Amino acid sequence: MSQLISPTLHTAALAALEGAANRALQLATEARSELKELDGCVFALECTSPEFEVFVQPLQGELRLMGVYDGTVTTRVRGTASDFTSLATAADPASSLINGALELEGESAPLIELQHIIGRLDLDWEAPLVNTLGDVAGHQLAQLLRAGFSWGQQAGTNLGRQLEEFIHEEARLSPPKLELEDFYTDVQDLALRVDRLESRTARLKKRLQDKDD
Amino acid sequence: MSDKDTTHFGYQQVDKNEKADLVAGVFHSVAARYDLMNDLMSVGIHRIWKRFTIELSGVRQGDSVLDIAGGTGDLAAKFARVVGKEGRVVLADINESMLQVGRDKLLDTGQLGNIEFVQADAQYLPFPDNSFDCITIAFGLRNVTDKDKALRSMLRVLKPGGRLLVLEFSKPQNELLSRAYDAYSFRMLPFMGKLVANDSESYKYLAESIRMHPDQDTLLEMLEDAGFTDCNFHDLTGGIVALHRGVKP
Repeated sequence: MSQLISPTLHTAALAALEGAANRALQLATEARSELKELDGCVFALECTSPEFEVFVQPLQGELRLMGVYDGTVTTRVRGTASDFTSLATAADPASSLINGALELEGESAPLIELQHIIGRLDLDWEAPLVNTLGDVAGHQLAQLLRAGFSWGQQAGTNLGRQLEEFIHEEARLSPPKLELEDFYTDVQDLALRVDRLESRTARLKKRLQDKDD
Repeated sequence: MSDKDTTHFGYQQVDKNEKADLVAGVFHSVAARYDLMNDLMSVGIHRIWKRFTIELSGVRQGDSVLDIAGGTGDLAAKFARVVGKEGRVVLADINESMLQVGRDKLLDTGQLGNIEFVQADAQYLPFPDNSFDCITIAFGLRNVTDKDKALRSMLRVLKPGGRLLVLEFSKPQNELLSRAYDAYSFRMLPFMGKLVANDSESYKYLAESIRMHPDQDTLLEMLEDAGFTDCNFHDLTGGIVALHRGVKP
């Protein structure tokens, strides 16, 4: 739990945020049912400097946010406030996560799933936290949560792009689209030339037959 | 009457046998407006204190929880959601009126299935040994006649490794806050009690009983003396309230 923010304020801020998240979930039936699949998982966002932690637990289609949790955590993301800020403000969060200083412990698949669900809710992390904690602490906690959960959508797109590049450029498992189009043009060109050659051969053959006759 | 036979009821010394009835009178009187008064008196912060209690309880799905002096069921409702269908929550209160209000509230909001309601005295808990993973008592211990006996009773019914959480008014750690709090509780509380629940005496008792309740360190010692280990406490809102936690060895 935060050593800078009093337990009352920390709990109040998370209660406000939890309320906002669950109100958004009330309007997103699909997200609620997807969230139920994550029942039993607990995610930790641990800021090492300044020290504070937030735990997120999907529970019966809603989100439970806690400042204290001493059970087993499914996935933990750990780093300093500036590491989380870098991720929250990165143009390419996927690359920032891979190359940045944040540590990821545990299973990544449930975290990515949660990120996709929360990303679609388009939550305003800032307002409920700033209202409770004030500009400085509220903004810092919002950055932590934004970094942890809101890059899912963009990261999904970027990871898709990176995977495509890997298949095309690195593993050469499949030709890129332009290369494939060039290849099809070449094939068509070849087919035309074969057709023309076939016609010319047929004409020559006919001439030879006429001469023999 | 010797000191051993008396205890405090607010600032009054009363016979030990009388305290339960006197406290019962207070809560019979305020039960119907208890939630509203709590919100007014604490400006809603009691919900945050209770939420922090649940976080610190470490309760998981499938656990068994006893909420003593559970009153109108704030904690029980939240615990019921956390423990799920496989879990069990027992809402216990010595006061019939409070239990009735709590039961009606929970039933009206559809909280069914994993909550049981038991009228019980914290000093003589009617459960077998090692029954619960967690016990909470929120704003109830100061009303108990023999607190040490109640703590020992809680220890008995907890499973080894189980946690006790005592959420109770305590001693503000800042002198300025302490003075402001005194002025508020001795002037504003009875006034609000008169206005909302038409009962200023009960809220005068509330303010007095808070001052008579052991401070943070004393309650910590009481937990240790009762046999709990790993005891600690968190001051909330500058020490106006403290959350004590102990584990059954």
